[in-house]
Amino acid sequence: MHLSQEQLLAVRDGDAAAADLAHVAACSACAAEVARLEAVRGALAALPMERPTHDLWPAIRARIVAESSRRHLARAGWIAAAAAAVVTVVVGVRGGLEAWHEARTAHEMKALIGQSQRLERALRSLDPSGHVVSGRTAGTIVELQDHIASIDAELANKGGQGAASPELVNLWQERVRLLDALINVEATRVAYVGL
Amino acid sequence: MVSGHSFSVTVDELVIARAKRGDGEALEALYRTFETPVYTLARRLTRTRHDAEDVVQDTFLELVRSIGSFRGDGSLAGWVRKVAASKALQRLRKQGARFAEEPLPDEFADGSVDGRTATAPLATAAERVDLRTAVEDLSETARAVLWLHDVEGYSHEEIAAMVGKTASFSKSQLARAHARLRNVLAPAVREEPCT
Repeated sequence: MHLSQEQLLAVRDGDAAAADLAHVAACSACAAEVARLEAVRGALAALPMERPTHDLWPAIRARIVAESSRRHLARAGWIAAAAAAVVTVVVGVRGGLEAWHEARTAHEMKALIGQSQRLERALRSLDPSGHVVSGRTAGTIVELQDHIASIDAELANKGGQGAASPELVNLWQERVRLLDALINVEATRVAYVGL
Repeated sequence: MVSGHSFSVTVDELVIARAKRGDGEALEALYRTFETPVYTLARRLTRTRHDAEDVVQDTFLELVRSIGSFRGDGSLAGWVRKVAASKALQRLRKQGARFAEEPLPDEFADGSVDGRTATAPLATAAERVDLRTAVEDLSETARAVLWLHDVEGYSHEEIAAMVGKTASFSKSQLARAHARLRNVLAPAVREEPCT
C-alpha cells in the first residue's frame, strides 16, 4: 500500500509522521512521487509572471483622489456650516449703520456659502469613483482639489476670527469658482465613461 | 518550502515613510514595485483578467488607506501579498465560490494509489504551458489552496483562516489539486506496487 497524496505532501513539506518517512525511505515509488510533487511545486513557482494588459495606475490614482476628495468635502461641509452659523449670529446681535454694512457683506457671504454647499452636493451626486480617467484629467482634478484645500485652510483660519468681511467673501467667491470648475471636469468625465 | 518568490522585494524605508504621508510619487513607486506580483497572484486565483485587474485596484486602494498603520514589524511585501490574497478570495466569494469540498479523481478515491505512475520533473516550456493550463482548469478552491500553499508559502492554518475553513480542509484540497494535476500532466512510467 502506497502513501496517500496527503501523506506524500506532508513528507514533501516536512510535516510527515515518522512511519510515513520510513515508508518513503523504503519505497522507491513513493520516493519518486515525493520528488515529483517537489518538481511540480518548483515548476509552479517558475511559471512566468503576468502583467496587466494596460497601465492600471491612472485608474487607481483617480480612485485615490476621489476618496480623498470625499473626505475633504466632508470636512469642508463642517467649515461651511460653522461659517454660516457665525454669520447668522453676527447679523442677529448687532444694529445701526455699521451693522447694516456688515449685514450686506454677511448676506453676500451667506449666499456664497449656500452656493458652495449646493455645488458640493452636486459634485457628490456625480460619484465618478471607480471609473478610469486620463493622467491629464486626474492632474487637473488634483490641482483644483489642492487649490480648494488651500482656500479651506484660509477659511478655517480667518473664519475663527468672527464676523463676515470682504476678505472672507473673496475667499468664498474663489471657492465657488473652483468648485464649479471641478464639477465641469467631473461631469465631463462621468459623461465620457457613460458613453 | 518555496516562499512567494514573486513578492521577494525589499522596499526602501524612505519610500514607505513618504507613502505614509500621502506622497503621490511614493505611492506610485509602491504600485510599480508590486504591480506584477499582485497581478500574477490575482490572475492565478480569480477567473478573468478583468477580475485580476479589479483585485489589483482594490489591493492598492487598501494599501493607500492602511499604510499609515503599517508598523514595519513584518515586511511590506508580505503585507501586500496578504491583502492581495484576501481581496482575490473576497472577489471569488462575491462571485459565488463556496470553497466547497471537491472529490478526488476516481483512482485516488481511496486515498492511495497502487501501481503508482512516476513522472519526470517538468522541464520544458511546453510542459510549463501544460502546467499553467492544468492549474487554470482546477476548481477555484483547489487552485487557490494550491497556489497559496505551494507558491506563496502560506501554511495550511493560514489558508484555513483566509477561506474560513479548517487546516484539514486545506490539506485535502491541496491533495486533490495535486491528484488532478497528476492526471493531466503525467506522461507516466508504471512502476511496481509497494510490497
